[in-house]
Amino acid sequence: MNNLASQLHFAGIDIGSTMSKAVIVDAESAMKAYVVGPTGAEHRRRANKVMEDVLARADLKIEDIAYIVSTGYGRVNVPFADKQITELTCHARGVASLFPDVRTAIDIGGQDAKVLKIKNGRLTDFLTNDKCAAGTGRFLEVAAETLGLELNEMGRISMQTDTPVKINSLCTIFAQQEIISRLSEGQPLPDILAGVYIAIATRVVKLARQLKVETPVVFTGGVAKNAGMVKAMETVLGMKLLVPQEPLITGALGAAILARDQAYQLVQRGEYDSHREKKLSEAYIEFTEKGS
Amino acid sequence: MSGYYLGIDIGSAGSKAVIVDGAKISGWAVIPSGTNYATAAATVRARALEQAGLKEGDIKATAATGTGGRNAGADSYHGVILCDTRGVNTLFPTARTVIDIGGQGSQVITLDEAGKVVNFSISEICATGSARLLQVLARILGIKMEEIGPLSLKATRPSNFSTSCSVFLETEVITRISQGDKPEDILAGIHRSIAEKVVAMARGLTLQPDVVIIGGGAMDGGLVQAIEEKLDIKSLLPENPRIIAALGAAVIARET
Repeated sequence: MNNLASQLHFAGIDIGSTMSKAVIVDAESAMKAYVVGPTGAEHRRRANKVMEDVLARADLKIEDIAYIVSTGYGRVNVPFADKQITELTCHARGVASLFPDVRTAIDIGGQDAKVLKIKNGRLTDFLTNDKCAAGTGRFLEVAAETLGLELNEMGRISMQTDTPVKINSLCTIFAQQEIISRLSEGQPLPDILAGVYIAIATRVVKLARQLKVETPVVFTGGVAKNAGMVKAMETVLGMKLLVPQEPLITGALGAAILARDQAYQLVQRGEYDSHREKKLSEAYIEFTEKGS
Repeated sequence: MSGYYLGIDIGSAGSKAVIVDGAKISGWAVIPSGTNYATAAATVRARALEQAGLKEGDIKATAATGTGGRNAGADSYHGVILCDTRGVNTLFPTARTVIDIGGQGSQVITLDEAGKVVNFSISEICATGSARLLQVLARILGIKMEEIGPLSLKATRPSNFSTSCSVFLETEVITRISQGDKPEDILAGIHRSIAEKVVAMARGLTLQPDVVIIGGGAMDGGLVQAIEEKLDIKSLLPENPRIIAALGAAVIARET
Protein backbone atom coordinates (compact mmCIF):
# COMPACT_ATOMS: atom_id res chain seq x y z
CA MET A 1 0.00 0.00 0.00
CA ASN A 2 2.99 2.30 0.51
CA ASN A 3 3.18 3.22 -3.15
CA LEU A 4 -0.49 4.18 -3.06
CA ALA A 5 -0.34 5.89 0.28
CA SER A 6 0.13 9.45 -0.83
CA GLN A 7 -2.99 9.36 -3.00
CA LEU A 8 -5.36 7.53 -0.71
CA HIS A 9 -7.92 9.20 1.51
CA PHE A 10 -10.46 7.90 3.99
CA ALA A 11 -13.72 9.34 5.24
CA GLY A 12 -15.77 9.19 8.41
CA ILE A 13 -19.39 10.34 8.55
CA ASP A 14 -21.18 10.86 11.86
CA ILE A 15 -24.94 11.36 11.54
CA GLY A 16 -25.97 12.60 14.99
CA SER A 17 -29.47 13.33 16.24
CA THR A 18 -28.94 17.05 15.73
CA MET A 19 -25.76 17.56 13.68
CA SER A 20 -24.05 15.63 10.89
CA LYS A 21 -20.28 15.68 10.57
CA ALA A 22 -17.80 14.39 7.96
CA VAL A 23 -14.02 14.15 8.13
CA ILE A 24 -11.44 13.12 5.51
CA VAL A 25 -8.01 11.89 6.60
CA ASP A 26 -4.98 10.89 4.57
CA ALA A 27 -2.86 7.75 4.86
CA GLU A 28 -1.05 9.25 7.87
CA SER A 29 -4.43 9.82 9.62
CA ALA A 30 -3.90 13.55 9.27
CA MET A 31 -7.14 15.50 8.84
CA LYS A 32 -7.53 17.02 5.35
CA ALA A 33 -11.00 18.54 5.73
CA TYR A 34 -14.15 18.49 7.83
CA VAL A 35 -17.70 19.78 7.68
CA VAL A 36 -20.54 20.12 10.17
CA GLY A 37 -24.20 20.70 9.30
CA PRO A 38 -27.65 20.17 10.81
CA THR A 39 -29.07 16.66 10.42
CA GLY A 40 -32.70 17.54 9.76
CA ALA A 41 -35.35 14.94 9.09
CA GLU A 42 -33.93 13.32 5.98
CA HIS A 43 -30.80 11.49 6.99
CA ARG A 44 -29.98 10.11 3.58
CA ARG A 45 -30.03 13.43 1.83
CA ARG A 46 -27.97 14.86 4.70
CA ALA A 47 -25.36 12.12 4.43
CA ASN A 48 -24.90 12.91 0.74
CA LYS A 49 -24.72 16.61 1.42
CA VAL A 50 -22.01 16.42 4.10
CA MET A 51 -20.03 14.01 1.94
CA GLU A 52 -20.24 16.34 -1.05
CA ASP A 53 -19.24 19.30 1.07
CA VAL A 54 -16.27 17.60 2.69
CA LEU A 55 -15.04 16.36 -0.70
CA ALA A 56 -15.25 19.88 -2.08
CA ARG A 57 -13.37 21.24 0.90
CA ALA A 58 -10.61 18.62 0.53
CA ASP A 59 -10.60 19.19 -3.24
CA LEU A 60 -11.17 15.48 -3.82
CA LYS A 61 -13.65 13.33 -5.73
CA ILE A 62 -15.61 10.41 -4.34
CA GLU A 63 -13.33 8.05 -6.35
CA ASP A 64 -10.37 9.31 -4.32
CA ILE A 65 -11.86 7.96 -1.08
CA ALA A 66 -10.65 4.43 -0.46
CA TYR A 67 -12.96 3.58 2.42
CA ILE A 68 -15.86 5.20 4.28
CA VAL A 69 -17.07 4.44 7.81
CA SER A 70 -20.41 5.75 9.05
CA THR A 71 -21.28 6.22 12.70
CA GLY A 72 -23.78 7.94 14.97
CA TYR A 73 -27.47 7.62 15.52
CA GLY A 74 -28.22 7.77 11.76
CA ARG A 75 -25.29 5.59 10.62
CA VAL A 76 -27.58 3.09 8.84
CA ASN A 77 -28.71 5.88 6.53
CA VAL A 78 -25.38 6.35 4.78
CA PRO A 79 -25.86 4.08 1.75
CA PHE A 80 -22.39 4.68 0.32
CA ALA A 81 -20.51 3.76 3.52
CA ASP A 82 -18.35 0.62 3.44
CA LYS A 83 -18.94 -0.13 7.09
CA GLN A 84 -20.94 1.06 10.09
CA ILE A 85 -19.15 1.33 13.43
CA THR A 86 -20.77 2.39 16.73
CA GLU A 87 -20.23 5.94 17.91
CA LEU A 88 -18.54 4.77 21.13
CA THR A 89 -15.73 3.04 19.23
CA CYS A 90 -15.33 5.92 16.77
CA HIS A 91 -15.46 8.49 19.47
CA ALA A 92 -12.80 6.78 21.60
CA ARG A 93 -10.56 6.49 18.57
CA GLY A 94 -11.05 10.12 17.56
CA VAL A 95 -10.38 11.48 21.05
CA ALA A 96 -7.31 9.28 21.53
CA SER A 97 -5.89 10.46 18.20
CA LEU A 98 -6.01 14.06 19.45
CA PHE A 99 -5.10 13.34 23.08
CA PRO A 100 -3.12 10.07 23.24
CA ASP A 101 -3.02 10.07 27.08
CA VAL A 102 -6.78 10.55 27.51
CA ARG A 103 -8.32 8.47 30.34
CA THR A 104 -11.85 9.88 30.45
CA ALA A 105 -13.92 11.38 27.64
CA ILE A 106 -17.20 13.16 28.32
CA ASP A 107 -19.38 13.87 25.30
CA ILE A 108 -22.58 15.89 25.48
CA GLY A 109 -24.54 15.78 22.25
CA GLY A 110 -27.86 17.16 21.10
CA GLN A 111 -29.94 14.38 22.65
CA ASP A 112 -27.56 12.25 24.67
CA ALA A 113 -24.48 12.22 26.85
CA LYS A 114 -21.75 9.61 27.07
CA VAL A 115 -18.84 8.98 29.38
CA LEU A 116 -15.99 6.86 28.04
CA LYS A 117 -13.07 5.38 29.95
CA ILE A 118 -10.06 5.01 27.66
CA LYS A 119 -6.69 3.40 28.33
CA ASN A 120 -3.81 3.27 25.84
CA GLY A 121 -6.21 4.59 23.21
CA ARG A 122 -8.71 1.78 23.77
CA LEU A 123 -12.25 1.99 25.11
CA THR A 124 -12.39 0.14 28.46
CA ASP A 125 -15.80 1.17 29.84
CA PHE A 126 -18.65 3.55 29.12
CA LEU A 127 -22.03 4.85 30.27
CA THR A 128 -24.63 6.69 28.24
CA ASN A 129 -27.77 8.69 28.90
CA ASP A 130 -30.27 8.93 26.09
CA LYS A 131 -33.30 8.44 28.29
CA CYS A 132 -33.64 11.88 29.81
CA ALA A 133 -33.21 15.30 28.19
CA ALA A 134 -31.65 16.74 31.34
CA GLY A 135 -27.88 16.52 30.90
CA THR A 136 -28.02 16.80 27.11
CA GLY A 137 -27.91 19.61 24.57
CA ARG A 138 -31.67 19.46 24.44
CA PHE A 139 -31.87 21.03 27.89
CA LEU A 140 -29.86 23.98 26.55
CA GLU A 141 -32.12 24.31 23.53
CA VAL A 142 -35.20 24.39 25.75
CA ALA A 143 -33.56 27.02 27.98
CA ALA A 144 -32.55 29.11 24.94
CA GLU A 145 -36.08 28.91 23.57
CA THR A 146 -37.59 29.89 26.92
CA LEU A 147 -35.28 32.89 27.21
CA GLY A 148 -35.47 33.85 23.53
CA LEU A 149 -31.70 33.61 23.08
CA GLU A 150 -29.34 32.03 20.54
CA LEU A 151 -27.26 29.15 21.89
CA ASN A 152 -23.95 30.92 21.24
CA GLU A 153 -25.14 34.11 22.99
CA MET A 154 -26.01 32.11 26.09
CA GLY A 155 -22.45 30.99 26.75
CA ARG A 156 -21.09 34.50 26.42
CA ILE A 157 -23.71 36.04 28.70
CA SER A 158 -23.28 33.35 31.35
CA MET A 159 -19.55 34.12 31.60
CA GLN A 160 -20.36 37.55 33.07
CA THR A 161 -21.17 36.10 36.51
CA ASP A 162 -19.69 33.99 39.26
CA THR A 163 -22.94 33.69 41.20
CA PRO A 164 -25.14 31.18 39.38
CA VAL A 165 -28.77 30.84 40.44
CA LYS A 166 -29.64 27.40 41.75
CA ILE A 167 -31.93 25.50 39.38
CA ASN A 168 -33.42 22.74 41.53
CA SER A 169 -35.29 20.79 38.87
CA LEU A 170 -33.31 18.12 37.11
CA CYS A 171 -36.27 17.49 34.79
CA THR A 172 -36.09 19.75 31.72
CA ILE A 173 -39.83 20.40 31.71
CA PHE A 174 -39.86 21.64 35.29
CA ALA A 175 -36.57 23.52 34.88
CA GLN A 176 -38.21 25.52 32.10
CA GLN A 177 -40.89 26.60 34.57
CA GLU A 178 -38.21 27.36 37.14
CA ILE A 179 -36.31 29.57 34.69
CA ILE A 180 -39.47 31.59 34.13
CA SER A 181 -40.02 31.92 37.91
CA ARG A 182 -36.42 33.08 38.43
CA LEU A 183 -36.85 35.67 35.65
CA SER A 184 -40.09 36.95 37.18
CA GLU A 185 -38.31 37.26 40.55
CA GLY A 186 -35.89 39.61 38.81
CA GLN A 187 -32.77 37.42 38.98
CA PRO A 188 -30.08 38.65 36.53
CA LEU A 189 -29.97 36.78 33.21
CA PRO A 190 -26.25 35.84 33.45
CA ASP A 191 -26.90 34.21 36.85
CA ILE A 192 -29.85 32.23 35.47
CA LEU A 193 -27.83 31.06 32.46
CA ALA A 194 -24.88 30.07 34.61
CA GLY A 195 -27.38 28.15 36.77
CA VAL A 196 -28.70 26.31 33.71
CA TYR A 197 -25.15 25.18 32.84
CA ILE A 198 -24.49 24.06 36.41
CA ALA A 199 -27.74 22.04 36.32
CA ILE A 200 -26.68 20.19 33.15
CA ALA A 201 -23.15 19.69 34.44
CA THR A 202 -24.49 18.26 37.70
CA ARG A 203 -26.52 15.69 35.81
CA VAL A 204 -23.63 14.66 33.54
CA VAL A 205 -21.06 14.56 36.33
CA LYS A 206 -23.40 12.27 38.28
CA LEU A 207 -23.26 9.91 35.31
CA ALA A 208 -19.47 10.27 34.97
CA ARG A 209 -18.86 9.56 38.66
CA GLN A 210 -20.47 6.14 38.26
CA LEU A 211 -17.25 5.36 36.41
CA LYS A 212 -14.04 6.67 37.95
CA VAL A 213 -13.14 10.07 36.51
CA GLU A 214 -9.40 9.87 35.81
CA THR A 215 -7.31 12.63 34.23
CA PRO A 216 -6.73 13.75 31.57
CA VAL A 217 -10.42 14.36 30.92
CA VAL A 218 -11.46 15.40 27.41
CA PHE A 219 -14.79 17.17 26.87
CA THR A 220 -16.42 16.88 23.43
CA GLY A 221 -19.74 17.08 21.61
CA GLY A 222 -21.69 20.09 20.41
CA VAL A 223 -22.29 21.26 23.97
CA ALA A 224 -18.51 21.49 24.57
CA LYS A 225 -18.40 24.38 22.07
CA ASN A 226 -20.11 26.45 24.71
CA ALA A 227 -17.61 28.26 26.97
CA GLY A 228 -20.21 28.62 29.73
CA MET A 229 -20.74 24.88 29.72
CA VAL A 230 -16.99 24.14 29.87
CA LYS A 231 -16.69 26.45 32.88
CA ALA A 232 -19.67 24.77 34.60
CA MET A 233 -18.28 21.28 33.97
CA GLU A 234 -14.89 22.32 35.38
CA THR A 235 -16.60 23.84 38.43
CA VAL A 236 -18.75 20.78 39.17
CA LEU A 237 -15.97 18.26 38.44
CA GLY A 238 -13.35 20.33 40.23
CA MET A 239 -10.77 19.77 37.51
CA LYS A 240 -9.53 21.22 34.23
CA LEU A 241 -10.86 19.78 31.00
CA LEU A 242 -9.21 19.41 27.61
CA VAL A 243 -11.45 20.56 24.77
CA PRO A 244 -10.51 19.88 21.12
CA GLN A 245 -10.46 22.86 18.80
CA GLU A 246 -13.50 21.44 17.02
CA PRO A 247 -15.30 19.33 19.68
CA LEU A 248 -18.13 18.20 17.38
CA ILE A 249 -16.08 16.11 14.99
CA THR A 250 -14.24 13.60 17.18
CA GLY A 251 -16.69 10.81 16.26
CA ALA A 252 -16.32 11.49 12.53
CA LEU A 253 -12.55 11.78 12.92
CA GLY A 254 -12.42 8.42 14.70
CA ALA A 255 -14.60 6.93 11.95
CA ALA A 256 -12.20 8.23 9.28
CA ILE A 257 -9.18 6.79 11.09
CA LEU A 258 -11.00 3.48 11.50
CA ALA A 259 -11.81 3.62 7.76
CA ARG A 260 -8.09 3.85 7.11
CA ASP A 261 -7.45 0.84 9.40
CA GLN A 262 -10.17 -1.15 7.64
CA ALA A 263 -8.68 -0.40 4.21
CA TYR A 264 -5.21 -1.44 5.40
CA GLN A 265 -6.62 -4.74 6.64
CA LEU A 266 -8.20 -5.37 3.24
CA VAL A 267 -4.86 -4.66 1.56
CA GLN A 268 -3.07 -7.08 3.89
CA ARG A 269 -5.60 -9.78 3.10
CA GLY A 270 -5.24 -9.04 -0.63
CA GLU A 271 -8.93 -8.13 -0.85
CA TYR A 272 -8.64 -4.44 -1.49
CA ASP A 273 -8.85 -4.51 -5.29
CA SER A 274 -12.02 -6.56 -5.42
CA HIS A 275 -13.56 -4.37 -2.71
CA ARG A 276 -12.65 -1.29 -4.68
CA GLU A 277 -14.17 -2.62 -7.87
CA LYS A 278 -17.41 -3.53 -6.15
CA LYS A 279 -17.52 -0.18 -4.47
CA LEU A 280 -16.99 1.78 -7.65
CA SER A 281 -19.74 -0.12 -9.38
CA GLU A 282 -22.39 0.04 -6.65
CA ALA A 283 -22.09 2.34 -3.70
CA TYR A 284 -20.45 5.27 -5.43
CA ILE A 285 -23.08 5.23 -8.12
CA GLU A 286 -25.69 5.42 -5.40
CA PHE A 287 -23.85 8.37 -3.94
CA THR A 288 -23.62 10.29 -7.20
CA GLU A 289 -27.23 9.59 -8.17
CA LYS A 290 -28.80 10.43 -4.84
CA GLY A 291 -26.48 13.26 -4.16
CA SER A 292 -27.25 15.09 -7.37
CA MET B 1 -62.25 16.92 69.24
CA SER B 2 -65.13 18.81 67.75
CA GLY B 3 -64.80 22.02 65.76
CA TYR B 4 -63.43 22.97 62.37
CA TYR B 5 -59.90 22.11 61.21
CA LEU B 6 -58.20 23.21 58.01
CA GLY B 7 -55.70 21.31 55.85
CA ILE B 8 -53.75 23.00 53.03
CA ASP B 9 -51.77 21.23 50.30
CA ILE B 10 -49.65 23.55 48.14
CA GLY B 11 -48.57 21.43 45.19
CA SER B 12 -46.43 22.43 42.21
CA ALA B 13 -49.51 22.70 39.99
CA GLY B 14 -52.51 23.09 42.28
CA SER B 15 -53.21 24.38 45.79
CA LYS B 16 -55.96 22.68 47.75
CA ALA B 17 -57.67 23.37 51.06
CA VAL B 18 -60.09 21.18 52.98
CA ILE B 19 -62.05 22.01 56.15
CA VAL B 20 -63.26 19.13 58.30
CA ASP B 21 -65.75 18.96 61.09
CA GLY B 22 -65.10 15.62 62.75
CA ALA B 23 -64.80 13.21 59.83
CA LYS B 24 -67.11 15.29 57.63
CA ILE B 25 -65.80 17.61 54.87
CA SER B 26 -67.41 21.01 55.45
CA GLY B 27 -65.74 22.82 52.58
CA TRP B 28 -62.91 22.55 50.07
CA ALA B 29 -61.25 24.47 47.24
CA VAL B 30 -58.69 23.88 44.49
CA ILE B 31 -56.83 26.68 42.66
CA PRO B 32 -53.70 26.85 40.45
CA SER B 33 -50.58 27.43 42.58
CA GLY B 34 -49.03 30.08 40.35
CA THR B 35 -45.57 31.37 41.29
CA ASN B 36 -46.23 32.66 44.81
CA TYR B 37 -47.05 29.89 47.27
CA ALA B 38 -47.95 32.21 50.17
CA THR B 39 -50.52 34.02 48.02
CA ALA B 40 -51.90 30.71 46.74
CA ALA B 41 -52.26 29.46 50.33
CA ALA B 42 -54.14 32.58 51.45
CA THR B 43 -56.44 32.46 48.44
CA VAL B 44 -57.29 28.77 48.62
CA ARG B 45 -57.88 29.05 52.36
CA ALA B 46 -60.31 31.95 51.88
CA ARG B 47 -62.14 30.01 49.14
CA ALA B 48 -62.59 26.95 51.35
CA LEU B 49 -63.87 29.08 54.23
CA GLU B 50 -66.30 30.79 51.91
CA GLN B 51 -67.56 27.48 50.56
CA ALA B 52 -68.06 26.15 54.10
CA GLY B 53 -69.76 29.39 55.15
CA LEU B 54 -67.20 29.90 57.92
CA LYS B 55 -64.94 32.66 59.16
CA GLU B 56 -61.21 32.51 59.89
CA GLY B 57 -61.99 32.55 63.63
CA ASP B 58 -64.02 29.32 63.35
CA ILE B 59 -60.89 27.29 62.54
CA LYS B 60 -59.29 25.69 65.59
CA ALA B 61 -56.03 24.62 63.93
CA THR B 62 -54.43 24.35 60.50
CA ALA B 63 -51.85 21.96 59.00
CA ALA B 64 -50.07 22.17 55.66
CA THR B 65 -48.28 19.83 53.25
CA GLY B 66 -46.90 19.81 49.69
CA THR B 67 -44.02 21.49 47.84
CA GLY B 68 -45.00 24.97 49.03
CA GLY B 69 -46.63 23.91 52.29
CA ARG B 70 -43.94 25.51 54.43
CA ASN B 71 -44.99 28.90 53.08
CA ALA B 72 -48.69 28.32 53.78
CA GLY B 73 -48.79 30.03 57.16
CA ALA B 74 -50.25 26.95 58.88
CA ASP B 75 -49.82 25.91 62.52
CA SER B 76 -47.87 22.81 61.49
CA TYR B 77 -46.28 21.18 58.41
CA HIS B 78 -46.40 17.45 57.61
CA GLY B 79 -44.87 15.29 54.89
CA VAL B 80 -46.98 14.35 51.93
CA ILE B 81 -46.70 10.60 52.59
CA LEU B 82 -48.34 10.99 55.98
CA CYS B 83 -51.01 13.38 54.69
CA ASP B 84 -51.85 11.13 51.70
CA THR B 85 -52.16 8.21 54.11
CA ARG B 86 -54.38 9.97 56.63
CA GLY B 87 -56.62 11.30 53.86
CA VAL B 88 -57.01 7.85 52.33
CA ASN B 89 -57.57 6.26 55.79
CA THR B 90 -60.46 8.64 56.33
CA LEU B 91 -62.26 7.81 53.08
CA PHE B 92 -61.16 4.18 52.58
CA PRO B 93 -60.42 2.47 55.89
CA THR B 94 -59.67 -0.79 54.06
CA ALA B 95 -56.97 0.71 51.79
CA ARG B 96 -53.60 -1.09 51.84
CA THR B 97 -51.98 0.71 48.86
CA VAL B 98 -52.00 4.38 47.83
CA ILE B 99 -50.82 5.59 44.41
CA ASP B 100 -50.56 9.38 44.16
CA ILE B 101 -50.00 10.84 40.67
CA GLY B 102 -49.19 14.49 41.29
CA GLY B 103 -48.28 17.45 39.15
CA GLN B 104 -44.53 17.02 39.49
CA GLY B 105 -43.95 13.46 40.57
CA SER B 106 -45.70 10.53 42.13
CA GLN B 107 -45.56 8.23 45.13
CA VAL B 108 -46.65 4.74 46.02
CA ILE B 109 -47.40 3.97 49.69
CA THR B 110 -48.15 0.58 51.23
CA LEU B 111 -50.18 0.37 54.46
CA ASP B 112 -50.75 -2.31 57.08
CA GLU B 113 -54.17 -3.56 58.22
CA ALA B 114 -54.42 -0.70 60.67
CA GLY B 115 -53.78 1.80 57.86
CA LYS B 116 -50.27 2.70 59.05
CA VAL B 117 -47.42 3.29 56.55
CA VAL B 118 -45.32 0.16 55.91
CA ASN B 119 -43.22 1.36 53.00
CA PHE B 120 -43.22 3.97 50.26
CA SER B 121 -41.46 5.01 47.08
CA ILE B 122 -41.22 8.58 45.77
CA SER B 123 -40.36 9.30 42.14
CA GLU B 124 -37.67 11.79 41.33
CA ILE B 125 -39.02 15.00 39.90
CA CYS B 126 -39.78 13.86 36.38
CA ALA B 127 -42.55 15.08 34.08
CA THR B 128 -43.19 11.59 32.71
CA GLY B 129 -43.84 10.22 36.19
CA SER B 130 -46.44 12.90 36.80
CA ALA B 131 -49.57 14.46 35.39
CA ARG B 132 -47.43 17.20 33.84
CA LEU B 133 -46.80 15.16 30.71
CA LEU B 134 -50.56 15.11 30.13
CA GLN B 135 -50.63 18.91 30.24
CA VAL B 136 -47.87 19.05 27.64
CA LEU B 137 -49.81 16.60 25.52
CA ALA B 138 -53.11 18.45 25.83
CA ARG B 139 -51.38 21.55 24.51
CA ILE B 140 -49.90 19.71 21.49
CA LEU B 141 -53.17 18.01 20.64
CA GLY B 142 -55.21 21.15 21.28
CA ILE B 143 -57.59 19.52 23.75
CA LYS B 144 -58.59 20.16 27.35
CA MET B 145 -57.09 18.13 30.21
CA GLU B 146 -60.49 16.66 31.11
CA GLU B 147 -60.97 15.43 27.54
CA ILE B 148 -57.84 13.27 27.68
CA GLY B 149 -59.29 10.40 29.71
CA PRO B 150 -62.52 9.82 27.76
CA LEU B 151 -60.77 10.24 24.40
CA SER B 152 -57.95 7.82 25.27
CA LEU B 153 -60.48 5.12 26.18
CA LYS B 154 -61.54 5.05 22.50
CA ALA B 155 -58.02 3.98 21.42
CA THR B 156 -57.83 0.90 19.24
CA ARG B 157 -54.06 0.78 18.58
CA PRO B 158 -52.11 2.64 21.28
CA SER B 159 -48.98 4.28 19.85
CA ASN B 160 -45.59 2.92 20.87
CA PHE B 161 -43.00 5.41 21.95
CA SER B 162 -39.23 4.86 21.91
CA THR B 163 -38.48 7.24 24.77
CA SER B 164 -39.78 7.89 28.26
CA CYS B 165 -38.56 11.48 28.59
CA SER B 166 -41.36 14.06 28.24
CA VAL B 167 -39.10 16.39 26.27
CA PHE B 168 -38.27 13.71 23.69
CA LEU B 169 -41.86 12.44 23.78
CA GLU B 170 -43.07 15.86 22.73
CA THR B 171 -41.05 15.57 19.52
CA GLU B 172 -42.09 11.97 19.01
CA VAL B 173 -45.78 12.80 19.43
CA ILE B 174 -45.49 15.45 16.73
CA THR B 175 -43.84 12.88 14.44
CA ARG B 176 -46.66 10.42 15.16
CA ILE B 177 -49.30 13.02 14.39
CA SER B 178 -47.61 13.66 11.05
CA GLN B 179 -47.58 9.91 10.40
CA GLY B 180 -51.34 9.83 10.91
CA ASP B 181 -51.62 8.26 14.40
CA LYS B 182 -55.01 9.09 15.90
CA PRO B 183 -55.08 11.39 18.95
CA GLU B 184 -56.78 8.68 21.04
CA ASP B 185 -54.03 6.17 20.18
CA ILE B 186 -51.32 8.70 21.03
CA LEU B 187 -52.98 9.46 24.36
CA ALA B 188 -53.32 5.78 25.21
CA GLY B 189 -49.63 5.28 24.34
CA ILE B 190 -48.64 8.16 26.60
CA HIS B 191 -50.77 6.73 29.41
CA ARG B 192 -48.77 3.53 29.11
CA SER B 193 -45.49 5.48 29.35
CA ILE B 194 -46.65 7.14 32.57
CA ALA B 195 -47.99 3.85 33.92
CA GLU B 196 -44.60 2.23 33.26
CA LYS B 197 -42.92 4.89 35.39
CA VAL B 198 -45.38 4.11 38.19
CA VAL B 199 -44.69 0.39 37.82
CA ALA B 200 -40.93 1.04 38.04
CA MET B 201 -41.54 2.98 41.23
CA ALA B 202 -43.74 0.30 42.74
CA ARG B 203 -41.06 -2.35 42.16
CA GLY B 204 -39.96 -3.80 45.48
CA LEU B 205 -43.22 -2.88 47.20
CA THR B 206 -45.94 -5.45 47.86
CA LEU B 207 -49.18 -3.98 46.55
CA GLN B 208 -52.20 -5.40 48.34
CA PRO B 209 -55.85 -4.50 47.82
CA ASP B 210 -57.59 -2.20 48.30
CA VAL B 211 -55.57 0.08 46.04
CA VAL B 212 -56.60 3.74 46.02
CA ILE B 213 -55.37 6.11 43.28
CA ILE B 214 -55.27 9.79 44.19
CA GLY B 215 -53.80 13.05 42.90
CA GLY B 216 -54.61 14.93 39.69
CA GLY B 217 -53.66 11.87 37.63
CA ALA B 218 -56.57 9.91 39.15
CA MET B 219 -59.00 12.25 37.36
CA ASP B 220 -57.87 10.77 34.05
CA GLY B 221 -59.80 7.54 33.49
CA GLY B 222 -57.45 6.46 30.71
CA LEU B 223 -54.41 6.78 32.94
CA VAL B 224 -56.15 4.91 35.76
CA GLN B 225 -56.97 2.09 33.35
CA ALA B 226 -53.35 1.97 32.08
CA ILE B 227 -52.02 1.79 35.65
CA GLU B 228 -54.52 -0.95 36.52
CA GLU B 229 -53.44 -2.96 33.47
CA LYS B 230 -49.70 -2.55 34.02
CA LEU B 231 -49.90 -3.39 37.73
CA ASP B 232 -52.64 -5.98 37.27
CA ILE B 233 -54.80 -4.43 39.97
CA LYS B 234 -58.25 -2.94 40.45
CA SER B 235 -58.41 0.46 42.08
CA LEU B 236 -60.75 2.62 44.12
CA LEU B 237 -61.05 6.30 43.31
CA PRO B 238 -62.10 9.12 45.61
CA GLU B 239 -64.79 11.43 44.29
CA ASN B 240 -62.31 14.32 44.38
CA PRO B 241 -58.81 12.81 44.10
CA ARG B 242 -56.88 16.08 44.17
CA ILE B 243 -57.83 17.06 47.74
CA ILE B 244 -56.79 13.89 49.59
CA ALA B 245 -53.48 15.19 50.98
CA ALA B 246 -55.23 18.40 52.12
CA LEU B 247 -57.92 16.26 53.75
CA GLY B 248 -55.18 14.26 55.48
CA ALA B 249 -53.57 17.49 56.71
CA ALA B 250 -56.94 18.66 58.11
CA VAL B 251 -57.38 15.34 59.92
CA ILE B 252 -53.85 15.63 61.34
CA ALA B 253 -54.62 19.20 62.50
CA ARG B 254 -57.66 17.82 64.33
CA GLU B 255 -55.72 14.98 65.93
CA THR B 256 -52.80 17.05 67.21
